[in-house]
Amino acid sequence: MILTERVKRLRERSLKAVETLSAERARLLTCFYKSDEARELSAPVRRAKAFEFILRNKSLYIGEDELIVGERGPAPKKTPTYPEISLHSGEDLEILNSRKKISFRVSDETRNIYRKEIIPYWKGKSNRDRIMSLMSPEWHKAYEAGIFTEFQEQRAPGHTVLGYRMFRMGFLDIKNEIRASMADLDYYHDREAYRRLEELKAMDIACDALIMYACRYAAALSELAEKEKDAVRKGELEKMAAVCRKVPARAPGTVHEMLQHYWFIHLGVITELNPWDSFNPGRLDQHLWPVYKKQKEEGSLSDEELYELLGCFWIKFNNHPAPPKMGVTASESSTYTDFCLVNLGGVKPDGTDAVNEMTYILLDVIREMRLLQPGSMVQISRKNPDRFIHRALDIIRTGFGQPSCFNTEAIIQELLRQGKSIEDARNGGASGCVETGAFGTEAYWLTGYFNLPKILELTLNNGYDRRTEAQAGLKTGYAGDYKTFEELLAAFRTQVNYLADIKIRGNNIIQRTFAEWLPAPFLSVLIEDCIRKGTDYNDGGARYNTTYIQGVGLGSIADMLTSIRYNIYESGRISWKEMNEALNADFEGFEELQHDLIHDTPKYGNDDDYADRQAVSVFEIFYDAVCERPDARGGMHRINMLPTTCHVYFGSVTGATPDGRKAGRPLSEGISPAQGADREGPTAVIKSASKIDHLRTGGTLLNQKFIPRFFEGTDSYDCLTALIRSYFALDGHHVQFNVVSASTLRDAQKHPELYRGLIVRVAGYSDYFNDLGEDLQNEIIMRTEHGST
Amino acid sequence: MKGLIFSVKRYSVHDGPGIRVTFFMKGCPLACKWCHNPEGISPLPENMERVSRIGAGEIRRQEKIGKYYQIEDVLRILEKESIFIGQSGGGITFSGGEPLFQPDFLLEALKACRAGGYHTAVDTSAYSPARDFRAIIPYTNLFLFDIKHLDDSRHFEFTGVSNAGIIENFDTLLQEGADIYARIPVIPGFNDSQDHLRRLKAFLNDRKSSSLKMICLLPYHRPGSSKYGKLGIPLEMNGLKPPSEKRMNELKEYFSDLGIRVKTGG
Repeated sequence: MILTERVKRLRERSLKAVETLSAERARLLTCFYKSDEARELSAPVRRAKAFEFILRNKSLYIGEDELIVGERGPAPKKTPTYPEISLHSGEDLEILNSRKKISFRVSDETRNIYRKEIIPYWKGKSNRDRIMSLMSPEWHKAYEAGIFTEFQEQRAPGHTVLGYRMFRMGFLDIKNEIRASMADLDYYHDREAYRRLEELKAMDIACDALIMYACRYAAALSELAEKEKDAVRKGELEKMAAVCRKVPARAPGTVHEMLQHYWFIHLGVITELNPWDSFNPGRLDQHLWPVYKKQKEEGSLSDEELYELLGCFWIKFNNHPAPPKMGVTASESSTYTDFCLVNLGGVKPDGTDAVNEMTYILLDVIREMRLLQPGSMVQISRKNPDRFIHRALDIIRTGFGQPSCFNTEAIIQELLRQGKSIEDARNGGASGCVETGAFGTEAYWLTGYFNLPKILELTLNNGYDRRTEAQAGLKTGYAGDYKTFEELLAAFRTQVNYLADIKIRGNNIIQRTFAEWLPAPFLSVLIEDCIRKGTDYNDGGARYNTTYIQGVGLGSIADMLTSIRYNIYESGRISWKEMNEALNADFEGFEELQHDLIHDTPKYGNDDDYADRQAVSVFEIFYDAVCERPDARGGMHRINMLPTTCHVYFGSVTGATPDGRKAGRPLSEGISPAQGADREGPTAVIKSASKIDHLRTGGTLLNQKFIPRFFEGTDSYDCLTALIRSYFALDGHHVQFNVVSASTLRDAQKHPELYRGLIVRVAGYSDYFNDLGEDLQNEIIMRTEHGST
Repeated sequence: MKGLIFSVKRYSVHDGPGIRVTFFMKGCPLACKWCHNPEGISPLPENMERVSRIGAGEIRRQEKIGKYYQIEDVLRILEKESIFIGQSGGGITFSGGEPLFQPDFLLEALKACRAGGYHTAVDTSAYSPARDFRAIIPYTNLFLFDIKHLDDSRHFEFTGVSNAGIIENFDTLLQEGADIYARIPVIPGFNDSQDHLRRLKAFLNDRKSSSLKMICLLPYHRPGSSKYGKLGIPLEMNGLKPPSEKRMNELKEYFSDLGIRVKTGG
């Protein structure tokens, strides 16, 4: 596949467009909330009408050359805000405009609108304000200390993916379902029937709203077509108008219709609210395959048209940075990426090999488009052919971190264990970074990162956090008080349980704020069984409801505990007194000791049971503290092990640690070994990483950095394929490869201007190297280069 | 029985088929001027200085090079890697140094690995008494056989030993029908003259058989010259430039009409 001139132009324009904050949505929303129309409505109907109001009034954008239309903001990279979720202050806008990384341009006009209209109305009334006032003092202390973060503080719950059903239906069909569900309401026995009626009414309004929005585009396109002088473009505009008249009202029947259909749905979801991980088309090769096959057989779609449509579709994702964040959330999730993750491969609902011609076509698109967004992954089942993996390796070796590799069998077992049906499990995959989900049927909320190494730090300091000067944990004793390693581990368990309780209590309150104040009727029509139950996505309407807390720093804490066990309790070569002095001094003047902690102490990631068993202990302690605790939507809490970029923020709040790490340095990411701790190569890393039980999580993240040499020659692909298949045979959930040389990265750091397009795998997603903070850049350079000798 | 080993490399993918574990055995009777594993030459454990950067300063520690392994230790490491070996059709490779410099240990280790069902490879200079060499043939699935120079005096000059016994051992393998990858290190100025390349090609052509599975052209690469300094061994070929990729491809092309698979590297 070669990019057509049109796609090249669109791509270039998308890359050049500047991230800008747009006040349009905030203004429309505020205008609606102030109006008489918004008064005396049930929460779901108010939200649906707000959605309708925005879609009726937001500006349309039809770019030159475009074949797929619709933008989140008024133009590419213009990004709306969500003051009902969290309100940017004047100062926040200044910071966004002026900060070096992940900035958003804020015009004077936007500032004025904020000052005059948005801030006065929403001040003290955003859900963030609501959440912060509802959280306990203990929650605030732990949050300030950097023990956990809070996902729902600035964004609405998302983490869901469109399933098979919505690619086969139009919203007129959905409206029929809603009507049927209304007719089924049982006012005799169900005291919730009225509440359900209001929710269903809201869903119906939301369906009409999206159809209306598409019709606005159809009209605008027709108008443009009439004026268009160029006959070719005129024809395109007419065709696009016809597509927008058909979808999303009716089921799509061609590739063009299906892409536009999905795109309207995508825009609906990210306009209604700002869910984490925007939204995701999921198993795109499976969805497109039947319509593509039909068109190919009819001869109604040439290869060139197909690739051009897909190229235009890809660019749409790249036009959309994640909504601007602030405060802790900005530092823990420092990226423009909004975590779409296209899934390819895997198995079909009947369990057979799902790789098809469209899978390879989309791999071509990924390779040629070479864009950050959408992210992509390959689901690798033992039933998939090696050829599929080899094609993925062809792209991975080019070094932009895509696609990442997932274990289909592990995903299915994780989902089955959580009680999903076999078909729903097989229709699932991973979204965001590595999060397992049943696509189209599950609301899986991620709620915050959990700083495991920091909790060990508290355990060594009687629960006291010196940075914030607060008693963030329980008073379980000081380092020297623990007579044995087991005593220390027991105290750590007590602290984890205490802090997990605080987090879970907070989660269950926060979940209700979304159910009561911020239902999402549009998102609800997309995810089964919200319509059948007459219950909102944010209130447990989905068939499956899961709440995740994400453990961070497994490699670091394994090394910290291993060092304590080895150096203090077992060999006795270091006393607690000496260790504490060294930690307090951040190893200044204790370099010999630091050397021994780094170089002469067993480390996680080398297939050494002595160190790895500490990783397993911590995993089990975290698992026991969180798993299967009820949430506030009828679901359960579960764990996954991923950091996004939070290991950098968590490291910044954690002092020097007994593994020889200096204060403030990043923690290990995902379940990868601490940076530079793995000395035995990739197979040893994989063995260590598979000692925890991945199948009892909702996803784990393993990052492996390779220099390009490991991808040279035909045999290398067979070895890498065997490496991946081995990890997956050991139940590993996910592995991603970063193929780049450290010298290249160092050079990029020195001469960022020469490496504007350099994309690297961070942790569960890829990003421009230049957009990363220096600490994160250094960390990526530090990660062991396998095969560097 | 124990063997002296100076390095164990997991995910070794250039020393035979699949994912392998390569055991680098310490001690070598040759003194190749381009040797990039000088720590493998002495048959005794030795100390090397390790310098670690800690903050702004450096910490210097003596590190022991060479550790004694029992056969069971070797098997234990293979067991750890068995899933990768199984998935990839890999195995174990004994390299060095010169593995046949510890013939008894090598033989017993090979026997044990074969009994454990592992594919075995020996990466050797083949400078070894014929009796020792013959003994390992039944337990070795693949020989990675170094051919450095066909001219005996040149060979002697650059490696310190004669090649007569080596060529004899090569022919023994052919007679026995053992699988061989002929590995030719490409050392600029030593063995890459047009004349020598012609001789090599003729030599291999004469010995074409189902035994000779592959020709591997290994580009010279600079040793960690700091390794030499740390061990107190003089480095004679300092400053030699590795052959370019283009040159390697030309050589690959040159040998390719023999009808034997030719590979550069590994």
